[in-house]
Amino acid sequence: MSDHVDGPRSIGDPPADVTDLFAFTSPENPARTVLAMCVFPSAGEAAVFSNAIDYSIAVRRVVVAGVGAAAKFQPGDDEIRFTFRFEVLKRDTAGKAIQRGVCTLPGGRKLSLTVNDEQGASTPEGEIRVFAGLRSDPFYLAWDVGKLERLPNLLQHDNVLCMVVELDTRRVLDPAKGSLFGAIAETVPIPHPPGHLGYPAPRIDWVGRPEQTNMRFNNPAMPGIVDLRDLWNQQTPFAIPQALQPLFLQRLKDSFAVWDGLDGKTDWTPEALAANANVFLDDFLVFDVAKPITDQSHLEIEKSTLYGRPYQTGGGRTINANVIDILLTWLVNHDREFLQGGATGATQPGMKVFPYFATPNLELQTVAESIELAAAPDEVWSVVGQFSLDWHPLVARTTVTGAGIGQVRRLTTLSGGEVVERLEAVDTAKRSYRYTMMSGVPASRYVGTIEVTPKSSGSVVDWRVEFLASDQPDILVRGRVSALVKRGLGSLKDRFAPRSTREATAVAQ
Amino acid sequence: MVELDHPCPCATDGEIAAVNLESARRGAWGRFTRDPRLPGAAEAVVDHERLAAQFLGDLDALDRLESLASQFALVDDSFRAALVKAEVASTVHRFDDARGHLTRAARLGGPRETIERHSLTIEQACGVELDAVLAARRRLASASDRLEDLVLLGAVLADLERFDEADAVYQQAFDSYDGISPFPLAWVCFQLGMLWGEFLPVPDPDRAALWYQRAIAYLPGYVKARVHLAEIYASQGQTGEAEELLLRALSSRDPEVRWRLADVLTAQGKLDQAVSQLEAARRGFDELLGKYLLAFADHAAEFYAGSGNDWRRALELASVNVANRPTRRAVKLAQAIRRRR
Repeated sequence: MSDHVDGPRSIGDPPADVTDLFAFTSPENPARTVLAMCVFPSAGEAAVFSNAIDYSIAVRRVVVAGVGAAAKFQPGDDEIRFTFRFEVLKRDTAGKAIQRGVCTLPGGRKLSLTVNDEQGASTPEGEIRVFAGLRSDPFYLAWDVGKLERLPNLLQHDNVLCMVVELDTRRVLDPAKGSLFGAIAETVPIPHPPGHLGYPAPRIDWVGRPEQTNMRFNNPAMPGIVDLRDLWNQQTPFAIPQALQPLFLQRLKDSFAVWDGLDGKTDWTPEALAANANVFLDDFLVFDVAKPITDQSHLEIEKSTLYGRPYQTGGGRTINANVIDILLTWLVNHDREFLQGGATGATQPGMKVFPYFATPNLELQTVAESIELAAAPDEVWSVVGQFSLDWHPLVARTTVTGAGIGQVRRLTTLSGGEVVERLEAVDTAKRSYRYTMMSGVPASRYVGTIEVTPKSSGSVVDWRVEFLASDQPDILVRGRVSALVKRGLGSLKDRFAPRSTREATAVAQ
Repeated sequence: MVELDHPCPCATDGEIAAVNLESARRGAWGRFTRDPRLPGAAEAVVDHERLAAQFLGDLDALDRLESLASQFALVDDSFRAALVKAEVASTVHRFDDARGHLTRAARLGGPRETIERHSLTIEQACGVELDAVLAARRRLASASDRLEDLVLLGAVLADLERFDEADAVYQQAFDSYDGISPFPLAWVCFQLGMLWGEFLPVPDPDRAALWYQRAIAYLPGYVKARVHLAEIYASQGQTGEAEELLLRALSSRDPEVRWRLADVLTAQGKLDQAVSQLEAARRGFDELLGKYLLAFADHAAEFYAGSGNDWRRALELASVNVANRPTRRAVKLAQAIRRRR
């Protein structure tokens, strides 16, 4: 998944793990360009940056050095670099943890910032503005890529830590000298941070185009191959050593051949495939600030150059770009037909205003309980699948209004409370239904799912409820929901006990 | 004055790492509860919970792990559920159960290398066939040169009482590390503290203390390191320093914190406070033994043989421990308790 958890070394210090890199025109002001990098896959609400890492976005001017079978993007030597460095946590007067940091700009100027401050920090002249903090993960992946099977977004509700640099394109990038650029993002240990004697570790992670490591090098459809990801991550961006290039290039060729055959058809000629591998070996995110960068323009510069024609867009990568499906379509069928995964967007789309990345997803409370029953799934579903919930021991009275999707149940509980819920979806083949709570529980985004699945000769009932507590403490709301779910499932155990057990129980009573 | 001449690698600040571990742990649970079948979701929860238990003294992690294993088994019939069960069983020292789950995982087509690594960990924890374990650990460490494999090699060398080699391998583990997480580094420091403070026939408490101090510098919330360092301080009469170390670990449910604190308070003459801490320790051990007898039998045996003042219970627990994992240390502990009669 993108560059998420892309090497064993990253596990254990997730803020070092670069997930994504973006380069796009500001939707707020077309004269400004936005560069951004994200780290820390599946970050929780309290996630903070490491104080031992330099987080950098580096940009170099690039020229098209060859087209068609000789397609090549040649980066220059000069670099425009933005480096974020963060401090240890401090406490405010209320005891809340605060993290501050500094972004070092090209030329060495420094901008101080506070993590999660949405206003960010600007230079006095306003040509550069920066932000760092937790945001909704803009990446989405809705495939079992090794099998090319569609799935829901595997990163739904996830958050990441983002660093955003918004800059005046003309003043900072000087496109008059050339408007085509390549960008990378990297995490490198800070040499000798205060507090420890010691020596620095080598580079931890870096990213150019999405999915160099997890899909192109470590192709999930090629089980058992040697994992090259750590070796790749330790190389210097824009300067992969000559000695290692054949190793990486061969892996790209092998991987691309497997991608090409994944749908049972061959769409790439060996020459085109080799040229494609050459282009992807030079791994940086290519963008042109003189042309439009849109949600669809990702990889267009590379593709057009490989086709031997002038590119039309600014390439790059916007927050909402469907990069996985664009890449899969290119690799699997050479753009013959678009491969749309099981999701058309991330949990939240990007924003039109600074800092552009959507606010973080709050952590939903989840109550999830299961029970194993000695009865066939259809028998259990005939009871549990009744939306009226009249089988539930805590429900004193129930009325259902309407029919099918959208019907509403009004439950009066034994304690006299009333809960109103709406049926949102039913899948009788999977023996499951989904509902939302309209009133009666002090919570929002309340979604429940009940599902009956076969297990050996019996079945399992899963009852899962997600919600955000409101007006009352989490623990109280959670306790109430949990009691409802547990008592309900517990009653099923009695109802569907094997006949002999039920009879024995009846005799005992 | 002892000094450590080995430089330690740089790492993320321990407080940040602990905050992020908790963040990642909750994130992993979120992914698991949204879709328990998601590839890697259950395994990520296991990894994070084990880190929380090992480094932060979060013993509730054991309950959560048990819950995870049973929830996952309800929705997954594959080798994944069997491997998760094996991990959880082995975390709480139910090694026979763990072996059974591994056998099932193998039958269901689980990856051979993963299963062999699990088996090796169990054999090592039980002190069984240590020469074969050593050969396998050497092979793995030499192939990967990774800290994780080197620490485990060092540990088996220490179990075999080849102390110089163990020390050298632990130092090599430092040199091999190229990440910035403080957890693995604190782990090496802790192992070195144990080596110098507890494994050697003639311990060097000053050197051990320096390693524990480094472990705590990497990870201030490292409860076990605090407890061991406090023991050394207390044995040297530095009860004030020992008390300070333990007071900052009181939020952990680990009863050993309260036990050692009781000893320190007793030495300071604060007898009322000591009694109350001792009772809390006793309750803590009893509760844990009720749920995880095999995981806490050794430490509880030491407790009851000492301040817990129940020799019969101590011997019973030490015997349970030997039966479950007949390591040299376990046997020595049982013999020592028997001699104290």
